[in-house]
Amino acid sequence: MAITVKLDDLLHDRRMTLTELADRVGMTLANLSILKTGKARAIRFSTLDAICEALACQPGDLLRYETVQEVERAK
Amino acid sequence: MKTQSSPTAALPLAHVVLRVLIFANWFMGVAIFLLLVATPNELWIMRAFHIPHSPEGSRLVMGLRAIAVLGLIAVPLNYAMLKRLLAMVETVRAGDPFVAANAARLQTIAWVLLALQLLSIAIEAIAKAVSIPGQPLHMHAGFSINGWLTVLLTFLLARVFAEGTNMRDELEGTV
Repeated sequence: MAITVKLDDLLHDRRMTLTELADRVGMTLANLSILKTGKARAIRFSTLDAICEALACQPGDLLRYETVQEVERAK
Repeated sequence: MKTQSSPTAALPLAHVVLRVLIFANWFMGVAIFLLLVATPNELWIMRAFHIPHSPEGSRLVMGLRAIAVLGLIAVPLNYAMLKRLLAMVETVRAGDPFVAANAARLQTIAWVLLALQLLSIAIEAIAKAVSIPGQPLHMHAGFSINGWLTVLLTFLLARVFAEGTNMRDELEGTV
């Protein structure tokens, strides 16, 4: 899938751990890990809303559409 | 995703009933097999069942033997079905019935039911063919609308389970 989740970068910028984020948004660490590792098939708007509020960011900061070529170029 | 539903007596009962049916099925198989190999010659069978000693009588005995063979074929078919039903009951007890394995099991059960319906038609055809006026053979087999509807229903249910499994997998990956 070309949709990538930039959770690592956002957590690093805000000096937050995944566990802290999980507590703040009321999600299990397991579910958040699924999202972080790009294994999620879908994200609810309620989840997106909670994460954006906790990280004070826009959905576009968290989710990006990257083609395979762009990913290769970034490496 | 596991579903939480209140425990009922239905599942443990189904488990017990299926185990009993599996045993009964094998028992019937052994009984039919012994009947086929251990019964003495044709004359003995004719005397035992008051079948007239005639060409028609011989045909009747042959027909009975053929029906017994078809009955024997039904035994492993029944076992294949009952075994899979038992496995499905276990997945329901575990709270996770929408798995790909159950869709496959239902598909197999549907094919088995179809085969059993065909066997039933064959048995009835043989019974009709060998019946003689003094010795009509009633097997309570043959074409059954309910039987064929059950076959159709089971194929449909297999499809429903396949879709249900896809939906469940989709839900598992939704955060």
